[in-house]
Amino acid sequence: MTSSPRTPNRAGVGLRLPHLAEVVATRPPAGWLEIHPENFLANPHATELLIEVSHHYPLSVHTVGVSIGSVHGIDREHLKRVRALVDTIDPILVSGHLAWSTHEGEYLNDLLPLPYDDEVLRLLTAHIHEVQEGLGRPYLVENPSSYVGFTSSTMTECEFLGELVRRTGCRLLCDVSNVYLSSHNMGFDPYRYIDELPADAIGELHLGGFTSEADEATPGEELLVDTHASVVADAAWDLYAYAVQRFGPRPTLIEWDNDIPQLATLLNEAARADTVAAHAVSQEARRATAC
Amino acid sequence: MPPLVETQRRLRQAVVAGNLMEVAPLLIGGRDPSRRLAIHHRHYETSLVTALLGKFPATGWLVGTTFMTQAARQFVRERPPHALCIAEYGAEFPQFLSARPAADRVPYLRPFAELEWHLGQVSVETDQPTLGPGALSAFRPEALVDAALVLQPGVRYLHAPWPVDGLMRLYLTDTAPDRLSLQPEEVWIEVRGARGDFRMTRLDAGEFVFRRAIQHASTLGEAAERALETRSAFELGRVLAALVAEGLLTAITARNHRDEQ
Repeated sequence: MTSSPRTPNRAGVGLRLPHLAEVVATRPPAGWLEIHPENFLANPHATELLIEVSHHYPLSVHTVGVSIGSVHGIDREHLKRVRALVDTIDPILVSGHLAWSTHEGEYLNDLLPLPYDDEVLRLLTAHIHEVQEGLGRPYLVENPSSYVGFTSSTMTECEFLGELVRRTGCRLLCDVSNVYLSSHNMGFDPYRYIDELPADAIGELHLGGFTSEADEATPGEELLVDTHASVVADAAWDLYAYAVQRFGPRPTLIEWDNDIPQLATLLNEAARADTVAAHAVSQEARRATAC
Repeated sequence: MPPLVETQRRLRQAVVAGNLMEVAPLLIGGRDPSRRLAIHHRHYETSLVTALLGKFPATGWLVGTTFMTQAARQFVRERPPHALCIAEYGAEFPQFLSARPAADRVPYLRPFAELEWHLGQVSVETDQPTLGPGALSAFRPEALVDAALVLQPGVRYLHAPWPVDGLMRLYLTDTAPDRLSLQPEEVWIEVRGARGDFRMTRLDAGEFVFRRAIQHASTLGEAAERALETRSAFELGRVLAALVAEGLLTAITARNHRDEQ
């Protein structure tokens, strides 16, 4: 992966509406900021403030409404609105999810799971082409947080993502916390998952908090739920260090979307990401030298 | 296995309506994967109910949290969002609320909730540059009649059979008495806001009809005609001057496009 001159060398944080005015007023030391365009497109005042923010920080646009997995197609009007915002704030990255969230004109306000088979692969290939043409730039696809899979899947998630990259030229956003959470819930090795992703396609990393609850599907067991409502778990930090060693340093983002704390808490988590990444890189360099 | 279109139809039913069993045979994950799919149903419902309650805090104050929460839960099941921005979700909620059992005990519930919806909508708008008095005088009178005026985006109009603006002020200033007796009174309210602020102003019926018609893209002549039908004492010159003085006017477009400002 080549680095653009604007590629941030420090971790960033998700910019949510409760922190927007504070960021404009105080310009805290964040490496970069990520926004969900759906929080801004119907809020001209917030958009006005976001444009001000864009003069001072690299931004990333992370869509939650561009439903590349929907069998009923992409909402082209929404894509046009996202394009207009992207053209205005000129983000360093634009990303979305390996999921679907719309159904016959309804928006289901969640990231829903997909089977991994040839039919879905063809559908997503077409939709990612459409999104990249619509946005006029590469799109990064994020691995989901999973609670269920499909009996009909004929390939693993990594195989599916790798094939999407090959067919569309899209890039990948590896949500390390999602990898850990899904491995726990679905019973696979998270380190092997990281090994199987195409390293050259990884353009961004995410870290977010998850919550443990009783697994009603399997009494006595525990399920991890992707709440984005807490600090990053130690196990996810360990996996993040491994991912940095495997992929090299990548723009990393701390996500926090519920029970949103003081901005300082997010910045502390971002600083920890920088420390973990730097340590992982130096360890990898020492290992390479020793070899 | 069904094709993807059928799989997603069943998943939609599970997420929106909580019908988990139909999709269960398609899933893996634990001993009973449908129980895990309930996480998506819970997230759908909780996130949207929370969003609705957050948009209608004054209405919740009026009718109580239990009534509001139950109504919101039913609303999200019956009327999923069609907009991809949740900020745009909830315009139909006041009408839905007023049709709930027991809502007839609060006959002003619908206009009160509609007023709150409008306050939320205008407060996220931004004011646009305004036109001065010279903008109107630059038009020939016969061209002005056919012109369309554009108002600030952060303005809404509500005609209500109850003085819900007064009730809203009691909520906003936290000055409601323990017991309140509201009497029917026809009111014509202009709601205006931008950048987090808003205000409510009562208009007379003619001016209200005129401004609302202008907002709905009627020409100046058509809007004035409707206003005169509503109130014979309607004075076009005074009302136009007020639009300019209040900074409401942002553009004038001639119907024949020769006199555009």
